[in-house]
Amino acid sequence: MSEPSIFFTEVNERQGVFHRRAFLMGGLSGLGLLALTGRLAHLQLVEAQRYEKMSASNQFNFRLVPPPRGLIVDRNGVILASNRPNFRLLVAKDGKMDPEGTLKTLAHFVPLDAARQARLTKDLIRAPKRSPVSVMEDMSWEQFSAINVRAPELPGVTADMGEVRVYPHGGAFAHVIGYVAKVNKEDLQPTGPNSEAIMLHPGFRIGRQGVEKAFDLRLRGRPGAQKVEVDANGREVRQDSGGDIPATPGAEIQLSLDADIQTRALEVMGDESGAVVMLDCRTGDVLCMASAPSFDANRFVRGMTGSEYRALANYERKPLLDKAMSGLYPPGSTFKPTVALAALEAGVDPEIRVNCSGGWYYGGRTWRCWKHGGHGSQNMHDAIKNSCDIYFYQTALKVGPDPIARAAHALGFGQVFDLGIPGQKKGIVGSREWKRKAVKREPVWQPGDSVSYGIGQGYVNVNALQLAVMTARLANGRKALNPRLVRSIGGKELPSGAAVPDLPFKQEHVDYVRGAMIAVANDVTGTAYRQSQLGLGDVMMAGKTGTAQVRSYDNVADRNSASVQWKLKDHNLFVAFAPYDAPRYAISVIVEHGGLGGATAGAPRAREVMRVALLKDPEIRARIEKPLPMPELTPDGLAEGAAPEAPVAAAPPTAAPPPGDRI
Amino acid sequence: MTVSALTRPGERDRLVVKFSEIDWLFSLALCLIAGAGALMMFSIAGSSWEPWAGAHLLRFGIMFVIMVVLAMVDLRVWFAIAYPLYGVGLVLLILVEAIGDVRMGAQRWLDLGPLGSFQPSEVMKLGIVLGLARFYHSISADDARFSWWLLVPVLMIAAPVVLVAHQPDLGTAMLILMTGVAVVVLAGLDWRVIATGLGAAAVSVPPMVMFVLHDYQRKRIFTFLDPESDPSGSGYHILQSKIALGSGGFLGKGYGLGSQSQLNFLPEKQTDFIFATLAEEFGFVGCFSVLFLYAVVIFMALRTAALAHSHFGRLSAAGVTATFALYVMINGGMVMGLAPVVGVPMPMLSYGGTVMATVMIGFGLVQAVRVHRYSEVTSGKGSFL
Repeated sequence: MSEPSIFFTEVNERQGVFHRRAFLMGGLSGLGLLALTGRLAHLQLVEAQRYEKMSASNQFNFRLVPPPRGLIVDRNGVILASNRPNFRLLVAKDGKMDPEGTLKTLAHFVPLDAARQARLTKDLIRAPKRSPVSVMEDMSWEQFSAINVRAPELPGVTADMGEVRVYPHGGAFAHVIGYVAKVNKEDLQPTGPNSEAIMLHPGFRIGRQGVEKAFDLRLRGRPGAQKVEVDANGREVRQDSGGDIPATPGAEIQLSLDADIQTRALEVMGDESGAVVMLDCRTGDVLCMASAPSFDANRFVRGMTGSEYRALANYERKPLLDKAMSGLYPPGSTFKPTVALAALEAGVDPEIRVNCSGGWYYGGRTWRCWKHGGHGSQNMHDAIKNSCDIYFYQTALKVGPDPIARAAHALGFGQVFDLGIPGQKKGIVGSREWKRKAVKREPVWQPGDSVSYGIGQGYVNVNALQLAVMTARLANGRKALNPRLVRSIGGKELPSGAAVPDLPFKQEHVDYVRGAMIAVANDVTGTAYRQSQLGLGDVMMAGKTGTAQVRSYDNVADRNSASVQWKLKDHNLFVAFAPYDAPRYAISVIVEHGGLGGATAGAPRAREVMRVALLKDPEIRARIEKPLPMPELTPDGLAEGAAPEAPVAAAPPTAAPPPGDRI
Repeated sequence: MTVSALTRPGERDRLVVKFSEIDWLFSLALCLIAGAGALMMFSIAGSSWEPWAGAHLLRFGIMFVIMVVLAMVDLRVWFAIAYPLYGVGLVLLILVEAIGDVRMGAQRWLDLGPLGSFQPSEVMKLGIVLGLARFYHSISADDARFSWWLLVPVLMIAAPVVLVAHQPDLGTAMLILMTGVAVVVLAGLDWRVIATGLGAAAVSVPPMVMFVLHDYQRKRIFTFLDPESDPSGSGYHILQSKIALGSGGFLGKGYGLGSQSQLNFLPEKQTDFIFATLAEEFGFVGCFSVLFLYAVVIFMALRTAALAHSHFGRLSAAGVTATFALYVMINGGMVMGLAPVVGVPMPMLSYGGTVMATVMIGFGLVQAVRVHRYSEVTSGKGSFL
């Protein structure tokens, strides 16, 4: 390094250069600052509006508000499904929150055991950012307020009030109405209504079964939005109620069911397994469609534990199965009116008698009648009334399967009705062609097939709804009624089930069969006489009993043994309509493994349900409550001064038959 | 009493005289900037001195006193410690490389046990200025223009830049590099060399970006080039900052009413992006005022450099000014979306002790240059110490 020169010029030169360069640097700095100012002016003065908008959209968010789900009501407006308020605890994953720690903290306020915490942690980790996971539903007010007070210290935690579906009748309508449940991943679709953002809302529920599923889109309504001011983590800072968009509630759905009848049906079924279906014979309205045993649909809304679900699914009486629509049973003797009608239409003279000795040898085996000693000589009327098997074996053999199948189809068997809800099973109505297609092992219809066909066994399978339709069509006598379950959606009425063509049968034939069914319940020798007495004056019931074998009895001495295991007992069926002179209500009852003879288990239940329906009907009630005929008055009686307003009370006991006889 | 070159010998060394020679207007501008920073910190903390505004003012107060004290220090002392400071800085950088703490993915911190930790790269910001100033003080204008001697400053700049870049702290490395280059240019580097260097830089930047930089650094640069490509990811900072700025408009949203800053949309709002907070709440008027204060500081510091009689004084004051100006430009450009997001704060306005200390010590040097502008600094051995 050379010693710097002491010459002035040299020093001066360095200073000169520095000054020029420093001046330049000042200029550059000035230029830089000017550039910054220019940029600032561009952003803040020229583009200010654009950024103001972006700032506002940062600041304000629309939070989806789930719409109240549509109500489901019965024919009289009784609520079958509605919504109730629900305090719930939500946790949303945001930026820095620690799911495990948060849940641990929350466990101080609400009961959350370790297993549940672990499950929720997994849910939270899997959930998309900022979409809340429901940690607890139905908190008490104390829990709700405790969490709400502390929420600001707990990132991601909110306690809010939502709505939850409630079924006030518990299990009575569980199969028809179904239930709602949380949205699964499988429910989400890339397009269509199931792609909407509201599906991800923790309060949103999707219809899973029955009406809730079939009319899910109508019941959902349109979500609203709440304008809220949020911070960068999506946390709500303030609400701006002025900018809210109200939610549109879902449509109300009115069913044709009657809550009283349905509830009574489930009551009388008790612990038994089976189904009760009642139709209005004039309109086809389904008044009752119950499957027993049932389950509490509210449990599904809340979310069931695995053990709860397994208990339901594994119970041998199958509460989760809708036996009214999807339980298929051999109709047994309830099929006999159909066979009789087919025979009449095929030209069989109903007065031709068949002798029943309790057994009939045909095709290499003995076909037994249910009555050991036999019924003796039977015409068609007697055979229906007594449910004589031998008569129908022979008649069916005579007529052949195809006419019977035609009649069965005309009466509603072997088909699915447009109820609006899924789950109906078609069943089987055997015919030559059907067997050719369906039974590959032995495609030819054998005469023996016709024999068992005649008593509703073998190649015939029906459900309770079809049985009720058959009964209603016979009772109506003219119309090929269709059942209608949904009366109106959102106030718009659906077509009635009576707007249909007439039955393809001659009126006199239908009347003949109906007469025989009246005898079943009202002739003292009829199979269901005792059990079919309604006790409602001259309003009386007509019906047909049935027993469906669940096993072969070839080697069993006593079919009605009480010692037989429940699962091996016969199904007990009964169909009925009332009043027999002007039919209004048709009912079918199936009691699974209810034992031999439709009268024992089915008929008393049908009677009880029928009574409720009849007593609710104002016209029938007027008929029942009409004053008894005036008793012959003695001068003494007059002197006692009977009050004309209360003729029953004033009537001497002898004037009216003892009530015991009527019941 | 005014001091001039003709003032009686010894008079200028009196403490009272020195004290009066401090540039008080310049100091006032510094106070105003720091005050504006505290004002914004008070706002974004929800009208609270905690946690930033109070600490910011306290730090500024302490550093202001230190600046005044440093202004009293004779330029010959500064001259004497120039090389040692540079040397210490270099050793510390090597130590960091060897044993430094890794924080937030970068090895920048040296743990001093109970004394806390600090970043040696901050020492180097001052060290490079002093070291280069002393070196150029000792060579002639011809040598400074273009000679073999220039290998020394090249090495003096390259060593810390490489070490800091390797930490990796690209922002600080660039800052040291540009400060060093500024001093070399101010000292009178030949224009042809400058032009060649600029050309070489322009050619070498793209391959550097592609092959030398870390992934996150590369990503920042790409994000800067197209911030809307990933608005919720790496472009988030730039976008939110621009929204804050733009939505401030001419007069701002009002004190304490900036939704971008108050609702946390703005990241690092009390440090790197405090200018955006200011812009949102006080608009163009507020920003312009603060930028004007920065301009005042820069030009007054440059004027101080120009007034110095010693070459060392000139270059060191101008070098500090260059650092300061670079801080302002880089942070301003980053906040306004003109430069990639690198962790460079707005000096005096942003919260953070390290940068405040560096800048205020630097201004202590600038003030010392002003106070001692008439001193002659001899070169080489046999100087003051």
